[in-house]
This record gives sequence, structure tokens and C-alpha cells, in this order.
Amino acid sequence: MKALEVKNITKRFPGILANDHINLSINKSEIYSIVGENGAGKSTLMKIIYGLYTQTSGEIYVFGEKVKINNSNDAIKLKIGMVHQEFMLIPRFSVTENIVLGQEPKRGIFFDRKTAVKEIKEISDRYGLKVDPLEKVENLPVGIQQRVEILKVLRRGAEILIFDEPTAVLTPEEAEDLFKTLSFLRDSGKTIIFISHKLKEVMAISDRIAVLRRGKLQGVVYKEKTNKQELARMMVGRDVVLEIPAALVKRGDTITSVRNLTVKNNRGIVGLKDVSFDVHSGEILGIAGVEGNGQAELIDALIGFTKPVSGSISLSGEKVKSINPHNMRERGMAYIPEDRKRRGLILPFRIKDNMIMGQHNKKPFSRNGILNDMEIDSFAEKKIEEFDVRPRDIYAKAANLSGGTQQKVLLARELSIWHNFILAAQPTRGLDIGAMEFVYKMLIEEKKRGIAVLLVSLELSEIMGLADRILVLYEGEIIGEKKPGETSEEDLGLMMLGLKKKEKVV
Amino acid sequence: MILKKLFSRRKEEYWWMTIAVPLVAILLALITGVIFIKATGRSPLKAYKLLFGSSGLFPSPYWKNHFAEMLLSSSMFISTGLAFSIAFKGGLFSIGAEGQFIVGGIVAAYFGYAEPFAGLPTILHLIIIFIMAMAAGGIWGAIAGWLKTKKGIHEVITTIMLNWIALYLIEDWLVTGPMKANISTGISGTPYISATAKLPNILPGTRLNISFIIIAAAVFFTWFLLYRTTIGFEIRAMGYTLVFGMEAPKASGVNVNRRIIQTMFISGAVASLGGSFIVLGILFQYPPVFEGGYGFDGIAVALIGQNEPVGIFLAGILIGALRTGATSVQLAHIPKTFPSIIEGLIVAFIALQELIRYLIMKLIVPKRSKSD
Repeated sequence: MKALEVKNITKRFPGILANDHINLSINKSEIYSIVGENGAGKSTLMKIIYGLYTQTSGEIYVFGEKVKINNSNDAIKLKIGMVHQEFMLIPRFSVTENIVLGQEPKRGIFFDRKTAVKEIKEISDRYGLKVDPLEKVENLPVGIQQRVEILKVLRRGAEILIFDEPTAVLTPEEAEDLFKTLSFLRDSGKTIIFISHKLKEVMAISDRIAVLRRGKLQGVVYKEKTNKQELARMMVGRDVVLEIPAALVKRGDTITSVRNLTVKNNRGIVGLKDVSFDVHSGEILGIAGVEGNGQAELIDALIGFTKPVSGSISLSGEKVKSINPHNMRERGMAYIPEDRKRRGLILPFRIKDNMIMGQHNKKPFSRNGILNDMEIDSFAEKKIEEFDVRPRDIYAKAANLSGGTQQKVLLARELSIWHNFILAAQPTRGLDIGAMEFVYKMLIEEKKRGIAVLLVSLELSEIMGLADRILVLYEGEIIGEKKPGETSEEDLGLMMLGLKKKEKVV
Repeated sequence: MILKKLFSRRKEEYWWMTIAVPLVAILLALITGVIFIKATGRSPLKAYKLLFGSSGLFPSPYWKNHFAEMLLSSSMFISTGLAFSIAFKGGLFSIGAEGQFIVGGIVAAYFGYAEPFAGLPTILHLIIIFIMAMAAGGIWGAIAGWLKTKKGIHEVITTIMLNWIALYLIEDWLVTGPMKANISTGISGTPYISATAKLPNILPGTRLNISFIIIAAAVFFTWFLLYRTTIGFEIRAMGYTLVFGMEAPKASGVNVNRRIIQTMFISGAVASLGGSFIVLGILFQYPPVFEGGYGFDGIAVALIGQNEPVGIFLAGILIGALRTGATSVQLAHIPKTFPSIIEGLIVAFIALQELIRYLIMKLIVPKRSKSD
């Protein structure tokens, strides 16, 4: 039985054809994945199905019936539910209150909390989604918050559930839990539409996979009959090097050294304990670890956002006396933050403004505090060419760019400021394969130039492929150092979980 | 070359919204005003004719005078409007223009009458007065910025408290104490400023003085500061990333704390211009009780002007015009506070600007896309 069919869906935005005659036919109780690069049209298509956009032309059929979906209320009535990437929860409300909000059980004119709690317990048991109905949402980890979102959708009677890049905000363990949930939902008769650009995940859980590229459907394949390489080729339109080419570079002098660094996080808890390491010229040092084991504290101290409790940081072979972002930058640090929208770009600024942020007060971009537009423009024009930023429009606002393009703008900026050390914090987070490949290429390029790189990442494959040495962080301490050739992902994984004893650190 | 570049520059989509939204808000306010007048049984047409006829905006028998008065009072509104917007662009919600305005006024009065300066040539005397008044207003603003960066106290709290501190310091102490005029002169408030401290007249036969020229220059300066200098670049970057704790500019090496204090200083200095204008060009002393409110009206002006310098310039003139025309509506048996109702309505509709934007989009945009 067909749960959802779309026929010849076309969506035209001014200047862009976001969806070009797309035909999909999704069976009941299957996990149907839709993959594509950022900007391929996945989200647009989902928003049409969920009633947030109206299609320019084309038809939608739900359980065999032709329907018109004008807004999300229509979609909910048709038993379509959506779990958004950014949760729409009220932090100060309890789990129960969040789930029933808008459709509260009532006794007279009063909110019937008891019935609500009972009802939430029931649904959560039925689908194996464990939550504490009385806990406040603000106290829950992200993975559980997502569970609350799923319960909210299920309570409204959704039969077709759309997940818009649900793993982007999750830790690997939370993602595993989510996949179990998805399979369970499928087995209990729900239809799952899974939007992603992470091929590994898609290959792990889907029944069928549809690939979009530049608004067009490239094809629909059964999981058993395809592989990552083929999917990647369909997505990007050419062969993609998923393997990272080894770059042999002679390791040079010490550029950055960290000694006995101890850092407290903003809750006043020691998050990084007595950490020491060196990063050399022409070397990529990888920091592996499960999220929340001191990475954030390490990054914040290195960029100068938090002053360490004790220990020292040396850049360009010189101890930094006063640790703040300005001093770190002056001593040659380039920074690729994990959250480019928060720490990297200024979203309402244009590309050209973002390109010079941080060097705007240097010649030739300004003289005596007055900006020189001619120089800024020609610099930005040159950079968007060099980094292949699309659209080729230096006046486009950063907020309107796709994730991959934003990352290119950020890289273009950071790598054009004088630096001999790069602090790369999850530089490929949320990027599609094409953009990922680009980031890897740039990092290797920098390494060849003799730049020292510190790569903090949650993706083991990324660290294994890029790093020359790997340090494993566990509960704020370095519990081991490995060379990629002498270890495996399993081995590292065990260390990351603290299941292997502390090894002697060189 | 530069001209060509200016014109070829791609405009943002729907850039005209910034202009259309305030205009629609003003129109809606005037229409709502009609309902109010009708409800009290008076003639709206007559009221608006009187209001705008003597506002200085349109030719009338006493146009020259109305025009001069309009510009004179606009200068004050523009000053506090600019002050609010400078802070706002930097992500700071300063309610302190009121206090900075009177601090500027009292300092201008002091340097206006104080003996050692009285004999100086007008230009030199005025320059000294303005530097001192702006420095004082600036410091008054910077205190709030400093408290924010050092102690983390929100600027809304500190600027409101500083307003009261300024008011009581001036009215309950300075004006009735150390700065009181000699009893034998029979003057209440501070002594009158010397002739060299009075703002030169630029339209004979009226009270119009150079305050309007100074404020026009301040409008240009503010635009230049915000959009053409590195400081303005950083101020805007801070304002845009307010919800993210200004982390992006910080990570790029911007000294955010220093900029916050500087921005509050500049904002305070601009607000103090208005206070100087009223003392040096209208009252010629600091009176015992000051009819205030310019600081708070400045917030309305900034809102109507969409926080853009040119918008504030126009919004300031509009408010100045409404105030100038206010007295004559009484001829239509309408209280002279009626224009304040219009002002309030404009602000209310500006507060609904998202709705106005939405309605404009609904009405205009589909038609355009169909036609192409």
C-alpha cells in the first residue's frame, strides 16, 4: 500500500528551480531516505509535503487520495508529522506539557494534568521511547529532547513521520538509539521519511533511498542493491574521493604547545584536566573523544574564550601571557568553529563583509579606521572565485547560503588571514560530501604548506584519515596517543568510552 | 566609476520595505486618528488641516515661522533618536538618552555662563561648550557600558537608574545649589548664558539656529560611522550576533567589551547634543524644572526611522512637525495633546511592523510575480 505519493512536484523560487518534476512513491511501513547535497531540494520537498510551502505545480496523494496541503494543520489532519531539526520545545515546560501543548486533555476549563501524564506514559511505553513525563525539558540531553518531539508527533496520530536531518544534533550513541526507534516505528506500521546527507546512516537504516541533485530526482535505489560510492556519485554527479589521500610531509618545529592545561567550563566544573601536547609544523594532530569529554573546554581555552585555571598555551613558540581571542589571532591562529552560524559568520552580513571580518582593521581593507570598499570588493571577488563560492555574488547575505557555501566563505576568510596554526573544530559538521571533500583538501593543502593543524572531531573516520597522531580525550584527560596506522576505529572507540586503561602518553 | 558602481550595486530583495513599512504605519495612524476625532463629534478634516497647516511641513500664511519651529524641535528629537539607534545597532538597548540629554544641557549651561569663557569669540566658545557637553553625556552613557562589561548588569537597568541620578543631581542640587543664579537677579534656575554662547541664527525673523545644521551633520556622521568605518563594522557585527552572545565577532578578535563602552559613549555624546541645543538655542539657561521627555521620544523616533540615520532624520522632522502643529488643533476644539495620540498610534503600528510587512507581501508581491 502506498502511504505517500508525489507526482510531478515542481517548486520555483525567484531565480531558482528548487524542485523539478519530482515523482516519489513511498510504501506504508518502510524507511524511505532522501539524500542529496545541501541545497539539492530535500528540505523544500518536505516543506511542501508538510504544508509549509505550496508547490508551483504537481500533485500529492496520501494513502491513495489526492490531497491539497495548505498548511501544517492540514498535514497533521492527514496524519503527516514532522520532527524538525531544531526542536520546537519550551524549555521551562515539563515533557508532558510540551507534548500535549495545543491539544491538552481538559476537565471543564482546566488542564487535566493527571490524564495527560498517564497518556504520555502510555504512548512512551507503546513505542519504547522512554521519557520521564514530569521532567523539565531544559534538563534533558538533546537525544531525549528529540524523543519528546517524536512523541509529540505520534500523539497527534501521525502515520507518516518526516525526520529532517535528525542526527545532526545527536552524539553517535544518541543516533544509535534513534535508529533503533526508527526501526521499531517502522515495524509497528509507521512510515518514515528520513532526510540526510550522511551516507553511512542512510545505508544503515533505510529500505529505499531516493537521491536528489539540484532539484532533480536522480533515482531511487534499494539499500541492498547499492553502496556508498554509488550514492555519492549520484549525489554529486561525479566520482567522489571518500578515502582521504595520504599526504606525507616532514614534521617540522613545534608551533603550538599546551602545557598542563586545566580549564573550567561555564558551570564551574573542571572539564579539562592537566592536558599537555605539542602541534608541529606540517602535522595534523587529531583529538578524538565522545562529545562532552573536554573538547569544548579545550577549544574555548585555545581560542581565548575562557581563561584556564592553570597551565599555559604557547603559539609560534612563544608563551601567550594574556589569553584572549585577539592575542591568539595576532599570534597566528586560524579558527574553524564547529558552529559556524554562532561563532564563525555574521549571518546578516554579506559575503564580502564576512570575508574581511577579523582583518577589516588592517590594510588594505581600511586605512585610519575607514573602510576601503574597492579593496574589499576586489578581495572578495578574488576569494569567491578561488574557493568556488556559489552564488558568485559578494553582496549575497551569509544567512541565505547553504551550509557548505557558508563553510567555504569561512575557510576563505580564515585561511587568508596570516596564520601558522589552525584550530579546526568539527570542520565538516553538517556538510555534504562535496563540501566535506573540499574541507579535507584544504586541510591537507595547509599541512603541506607547513601549517600546524589541531583537528577536534567526533567523526572517527575523519580523524583516522587526516591525522598524523591521535590523542584520545576521556573525561577531560588525555588517556592515550595513537598513530592511525597502529590502531583501528574499534580500538579508538573503546578508549573513547574509557573501557581501556590509561596508557602512557608520550 | 564610483557612481556607476553605486548604481550597479545589487539591491537586496524587498529593500523598499524599510521605507514602505513606516509610511504605511503613519498612514494607518492618521486613519485611526480620524476615528478618534469622529468619535468625539469633531471634524477630522478640519483637525488635520489645522495640524498639518501649521506644522511647517506645508506652505501656509505663517509658513516661515512654523517651518523654523519645526526644524528647531526636530533637532532635539533627531539627536535622541540617533543616540538610541547607535546603541541599538551595537545590540545595546539604551534608555539613557533622557539622562544624557539633561547632562548635556546642564554642562552646556555651565560653560555658557561661567566667567572664564564668557569673553571668547562665539565659535571658540561654542566649540568648547559642545566638547564639554558631549564628553559629559558620553561619560554618562559609558558608565552604563562599563557596568555591563565589568559587572554584567543589563544596560536597560543602568540607563534608567542613571536617568534618575542625573535628574536629581541636576534639579535637586546643581540648579538650586552651586549653579543657582544670584538671588538679586531675580532669575530662577541657572544664570543666563553669555551672548557668545548663543547658537547663531540662520533664518532672520525666526528662532531657527545652527542646531539644525549641526544635527544634519550628526546624521551624516552617524551614517558614516556605522557604514564606512571599522568601528561601525564591529558595532553592527555585535548587534547582529547579540542572540549568540556576540561570539562571532569575539572569535574574530574584536574587543567586544571595549566596543560596548565606546558605543555607549558615542550614543551618550549624541544625545547630549539635544540638551545643548535646548539650552544654547531656546532657553538660554537651565531652568529650575525641565520639561523633559526628549530621550523617550527619541526611542519612538528611532523606531519610526527603522534605526537608520536617514530614517531617523525624517522621523524626527515628522515628530517635530506634529509638535509644532499641536497648539493650533485647539481651534477645532481638539486638545493640543491630540498629536501625541497620533505619535502613539504610529509607534503602535510600527510595533506591528511584521504584520504590515506580511500584508504588503500578500497584497503586492503575488501580483508582481504573476506579471513576469
